[in-house]
Amino acid sequence: MQRQQFEAVTQSLIPFLVSHFVIRNIIIKYNWLKVDLGKIVSRVLGLILVVAVLTGLLYQLSYLIFRSTDYTNGDLFLQLTFDFLVTAFLYVIWTTIYFLYHYLESNNRSLKYEAAINEMQLNQLKSQLNPHFIFNALNSVRALVDEEPAKAKIAITQLSNILRTSLIMDKKRVINFNDELNTVRAYLALESIRFEERLKIKYNIDPRSNHFQIPPMMLQTLVENAIKHGVSNLVDGGIIEIKSITEDSVLKLRIKNSGQYVHVAKKPGKKGGYGISNTKERLKLIYGSEATFNIYNENDKFVITEVRIPQGI
Amino acid sequence: MKALIIDDERLARKELTNLLQEYPEIDIVGEAVNAEDALEKINSLKPDLLFLDIQMPEKTGFELLESLDNVPEVIFTTAYDEYALKAFDFNALDYLLKPIEPDRLKDALNKLLKRAQPEEVGEVEDKKLGPNDRVFVKDGDKCWFVKLENIRLFESDGNYIKIYFDNFKPMIHKSLNALDERLDDRSFFRASRKHIINLTWVESIESWFNGGLMVVLRGGDKVEVSRRQAARFKEMMSL
Repeated sequence: MQRQQFEAVTQSLIPFLVSHFVIRNIIIKYNWLKVDLGKIVSRVLGLILVVAVLTGLLYQLSYLIFRSTDYTNGDLFLQLTFDFLVTAFLYVIWTTIYFLYHYLESNNRSLKYEAAINEMQLNQLKSQLNPHFIFNALNSVRALVDEEPAKAKIAITQLSNILRTSLIMDKKRVINFNDELNTVRAYLALESIRFEERLKIKYNIDPRSNHFQIPPMMLQTLVENAIKHGVSNLVDGGIIEIKSITEDSVLKLRIKNSGQYVHVAKKPGKKGGYGISNTKERLKLIYGSEATFNIYNENDKFVITEVRIPQGI
Repeated sequence: MKALIIDDERLARKELTNLLQEYPEIDIVGEAVNAEDALEKINSLKPDLLFLDIQMPEKTGFELLESLDNVPEVIFTTAYDEYALKAFDFNALDYLLKPIEPDRLKDALNKLLKRAQPEEVGEVEDKKLGPNDRVFVKDGDKCWFVKLENIRLFESDGNYIKIYFDNFKPMIHKSLNALDERLDDRSFFRASRKHIINLTWVESIESWFNGGLMVVLRGGDKVEVSRRQAARFKEMMSL
């Protein structure tokens, strides 16, 4: 009895050991996991065939060792065929599971990796408030303290709102349109203290815009760019107009500013185009191809910046 | 000391004016709102000192200085400008960051007032640039405010002039002939079509082929003096 049990254990161990040590090692040695499965399926089947035959022989060996009754009673050929079919079947299942597991695992890993990279890029692209603006604004406020203390107080509140938003919003992927618009309003109010009569501001906002969410500090960056390359470069100043239109499930933002958009040919030292490529990249990472971005000269006086953002992500 | 404030923002100019009220020795003779306006006012008001903003519409403060032949004392004022701050790292140009700290302004003015010794008055309008004059040099994103006595050699290179001083050799866009006219003959000598040397930097002189001369400057630069100029050189330098 004990010998029979021992035999049963040995015989059931054989396929397990073979699959684990032979098939697995070969797969690892020849790097089959990295190869396209279609290309190596014939090789895998061949391997299973060879290994199954070997296992069949091993069974025969074990029958010999244990002098099992099966050996004396049975037809040798039938016995071999039966063992071969059973083990081949087991190996096919084993290999399938093995490949499936590794395939899912690596897929999962690369997806996670991609998501992490995306997040990292997004964080790098997140716009930061231009320090030049902050210090200029503070400088204007300092002068205002004597001239118009009430206005100085308002300016301080506006500046702290912007700073707060830029700190908090940095952590979010998208925010409500109105929150962003409030930042922009505060920003432009401060810039108009600085530029005085040189800056004229117009808003044209569709009330349904707040049903949309946009990446934080995105409109702000575009407006900041419009000021930096527009009004601040013009001796006589100019206008900036912010318009939003909603169409079905698309939000259209349009910024019009005095000045000219010069494609490349930047003067050395004047960093330009950075904000634009960042914005494009950000939109792509968040919305894929569903969001669009455009900047062009309307005529020789005005530049138009347009962004289309879909509802929901 | 006559000062001109150059800034495109009214409040920034006002803020600086307020801060300067404590200094009776600084007499604000005018304000300019951009580079073009500044150029006019520099020519008409002849200030000794400029408070100069860098970012201004159309022309930056640097570009304004480049267009000036004779640069007064300059204190830059800037809010935050990575590019400009890098330029300052390079040379001890004086600059103030906005909002301006009163103590920092005091330091800058003290340094300036100490340096400004009463020079001989009644100079002619069209005076040439002598060794004590300073020029503003900008090459790429680096800036210098160089005293001419520190420049040992000007070398023409196409449409540019290479200026040799300390360990630097920045290039400026100018012709050597135009420069030669601006420089004082007593200190600077046109050695050849390609070179102007600073005479105080000459270390040794050797005879050279064809009656020319080879001048070695302190620091090892060698400059050939053409035959024609060598004759002039001998004439000028002999008793």
